[in-house]
Amino acid sequence: MNKVKRRLVYILLIFAPLICIFCSLFLGRYPVSISMVMKILWFKLTGIGGDFPPIYKTVVWDVRMPRAILGALVGGCLAVSGASFQGLFRNPLVSSGILGVSSGAGFGAALAFLFFHNTFMVYVFSFGFGVLAVGLSYIIGRIYNTTPTIMLVLGGVIVSSVFSALISLAKYVADPYDQLPAIVFWLMGSLASARYKDIILGGLPMVIGILGLIAIRWQVNVLSMGEKEARSLGINTTVSKGIVIICATLAAAGAVSVSGIIGWVGLVIPHIGRMMVGNDNRILIPTAVSLGACFLIIVDNLGRVLTGAEIPLGILTALVGGPFFVYLLKRTKGGGW
Amino acid sequence: MSLIEVRNATFAYEHENVFENIDIDVRRGEILCLFGPNGCGKTTFLDCLLGILKLKRGQIVLEGENIDHFKSYEIAKHIAYVPQRHERTFPYKIIDIVLMGRAAYTPTFSTPSMEDVAIAENALEIVGMSKLKDRRYTQISGGQGQMVMIARALAQKTPIMLMDEPTAHLDFKHELTVMETIVKLVKDKALSVIMATHFPNHAFYFENNDIPTRVALMNEGEFAEIGYPGKVLTSENMKRIFNINSEVISHLTTRGNELKHIIPINTLKK
Repeated sequence: MNKVKRRLVYILLIFAPLICIFCSLFLGRYPVSISMVMKILWFKLTGIGGDFPPIYKTVVWDVRMPRAILGALVGGCLAVSGASFQGLFRNPLVSSGILGVSSGAGFGAALAFLFFHNTFMVYVFSFGFGVLAVGLSYIIGRIYNTTPTIMLVLGGVIVSSVFSALISLAKYVADPYDQLPAIVFWLMGSLASARYKDIILGGLPMVIGILGLIAIRWQVNVLSMGEKEARSLGINTTVSKGIVIICATLAAAGAVSVSGIIGWVGLVIPHIGRMMVGNDNRILIPTAVSLGACFLIIVDNLGRVLTGAEIPLGILTALVGGPFFVYLLKRTKGGGW
Repeated sequence: MSLIEVRNATFAYEHENVFENIDIDVRRGEILCLFGPNGCGKTTFLDCLLGILKLKRGQIVLEGENIDHFKSYEIAKHIAYVPQRHERTFPYKIIDIVLMGRAAYTPTFSTPSMEDVAIAENALEIVGMSKLKDRRYTQISGGQGQMVMIARALAQKTPIMLMDEPTAHLDFKHELTVMETIVKLVKDKALSVIMATHFPNHAFYFENNDIPTRVALMNEGEFAEIGYPGKVLTSENMKRIFNINSEVISHLTTRGNELKHIIPINTLKK
């Protein structure tokens, strides 16, 4: 790729999610005219004007805006952590949940619903248990050190299944009128309750994770050559792998803790990226962030516009994404994939 | 002066020694062929030279300093590695694969520079693969794949190159192409090559092409003999190590130089 073209691609990658966020301010069940949205935005940017009913400001600026921003962050995080794990484990079937972050976070959230019933504790517990699950997988992977990568994946599978069982246990003991629906709904994933404080809470690990993975993206290429080759090429694999795992975990755990479990994005968005820009992680990882962000905003908009009752995100991502994936496969004939 | 000196090296998994008390040194512009039966410890020895495995006893001295004191990127600036079998995962472009040879020169949170790209392209040029630089490396043949691995090792700009059976699984012509490339690199760049091989005639091929060549005959975890191909690769040694009958033949080409070859005849009953 030549320099001019590459620069154009990067500009597109940065602007696409911003455009999606902008567009989603106009969409929703509460009617707000286009000129009103522009007025509110203008007021928020410059401080000039302000002659509009506060209900419009609440809808556009305090409901739609944080929801779109959070959607962008969550989508970008899930996709980028999936892309990095696929490279790290040299396996295209791996997703962001491979080391147990989703099931760990799910159990943490379920625990919080059982004992606290307060949203702040749900964040803390789901984030904490998501990170804990990955930590456990990593420790299991180090016990027997001859084939570290396979052991790490195996550790992830074991930890995931244990936490899945614990989620079922939590559901079993939960109060079926109050706690159980909350747990089940949380596990389906949603951005409906998004507020700015969610962005502040979940945003820090998510932004650190994304930036870290973007910074180390070329080493993911080298790590995907396998442990021995990466070392012979001069990479300190323990450190580099550790950084990738930590960043991908921060991103995924941050995302899951504010949105619940949203499947599909962390597995398939990286592949859509591969079809579009090829496998070189230097361009694939930024592409995954941008694509994941756009995809989740669009799907979330569909979810809140299509029907009166909101459809949970975890369901829609697969329903919308599946056909889109097949379309792209046909269109690009696999392309750079 | 030797580039690598191996002194009294012993390596063990758990309590079982893989090789014991190995001594060898490799000089600039020389090819050392590691030759020996399956499981004699060749690959393990190469892994120790790469710093991937640590010796139990003894030391490996790289340009005057113990290899234990080197960080992985420092070793990679001295020793490049061409793997025996490379498992292809994602369909990267060939140029992206070769560019990975610059990892030792690229900081962790950075990407290769334009200069690194130029070095990678030059390495592809040397092995005659420039035309394929934008092809996906999952779509090329095994022989071409091996040339890409050699180009990647060249991009590391090291004085030493380790090769683990670089011609395994290659067809007749590609085997020769790889051998010719190695000869060219040693002659043009005074590269030192340490190569594990299962074909004694590889050593003779290098010798026939006037390259300083030595063979280390490895058996049951030690060097049974080290020396010039004609001295080590004898029918007596083949009988002793492999339990086979073989014959070394020599003939003069029309251009007047001597070509040596070893031909297996039959295996011997114990």
